[in-house]
Amino acid sequence: MLEWWESGGSGDRVPLSALFLGFLKVSLCGFGGGLIWARRVVVEQWQWMDEQKFAETLTLCQLMPGPNIVGITVCVGAELRGAIGAITAVAGFILLPWTVGLAIGGEVLQYAEIAVLQNILGGLSATAAGLLIGTGLRLLKPHRSRRTVLLFAGLAFAGMAFTRLPLPIVLIALAPISIAVARFESARAV
Amino acid sequence: MNSSPASLVLAAHLAILSSISFGGFPTVLPDVHNLAVARGWVTDQEFANFFAVSQVTPGPNMILMMSFLGLKVGGIPGAIVSALATFGPPCAMYYLSYRLWDRFRDMPWQRIVRRGLVPLTIGLVIAGGYVMARSAAVGWQSMAITAAAAALILGTRLNPLWILTAGGILGGLGLL
Repeated sequence: MLEWWESGGSGDRVPLSALFLGFLKVSLCGFGGGLIWARRVVVEQWQWMDEQKFAETLTLCQLMPGPNIVGITVCVGAELRGAIGAITAVAGFILLPWTVGLAIGGEVLQYAEIAVLQNILGGLSATAAGLLIGTGLRLLKPHRSRRTVLLFAGLAFAGMAFTRLPLPIVLIALAPISIAVARFESARAV
Repeated sequence: MNSSPASLVLAAHLAILSSISFGGFPTVLPDVHNLAVARGWVTDQEFANFFAVSQVTPGPNMILMMSFLGLKVGGIPGAIVSALATFGPPCAMYYLSYRLWDRFRDMPWQRIVRRGLVPLTIGLVIAGGYVMARSAAVGWQSMAITAAAAALILGTRLNPLWILTAGGILGGLGLL
């Protein structure tokens, strides 16, 4: 009856330590492109999933809230070893990098009043903000001829950037309409 | 836990936001920014600093950024509850949906829902970048750096790490 907790038991079981270390690697290497590393570790290095299963899992993760890369981590862990596998994979992904990052980053932030450090941080945050904007625009590029996509992206942007509305309100207001439009469009396309 | 109720308010807020963070955690940055600045927990500059440090740290950087905020609000316990609130709810949802995936994978509605959410998440990611740029902005120079970074990620295949390094160096030279 512990099947949900500990599943995927047939044949050679993937050791929990391999899951932990595999996702620790994804976490540490995944600078600016975690999904690439997740694919490399899961599909190429360890063959925990084949290409198609990985793509399907990614599709599922894109439907859900949260960082997709954490979703991949949960799903691969669950696929191989059930709930304990999911917990181990997430722990591998988060525990060490988070602890070290909090310790070192917290220390750095203590000295943020030092002029040189504040200048560096200012440069970094301005750049990182630009990377986020550029990433969003890059995602928008394939849809640039679809007016409804531009409209709803614009509304979501304006709702969060120029008003002080909470995110839940903006999503509740826009998501049903956007989904209805997507439904109308795909019905018309058939 | 001797941490103030403030860290619990923050954690509850983060738990709600992470449960609706379609398209990843950068989409919730404007909302968190509003809360944290309006409550006087952090200044614009501190919030931008959390963002900067988390972006140059390997690993789960948005979880780390929210933990810096939690650290400021309620010390180490605050950092821990913030981290849990950031990744806990999505993990639970991922796990449950993975278990149920076989049942709804072929249903047409999931494709339509995804199609409908995509434009919103794109707009929210850009809004996240815009709000962070606004908190980081100290003048036209930092806006120029933001614009240049956006153009580089859009127009080239440069590793973002190089672009970040260049931005940090320009800042360190006192050019902002």
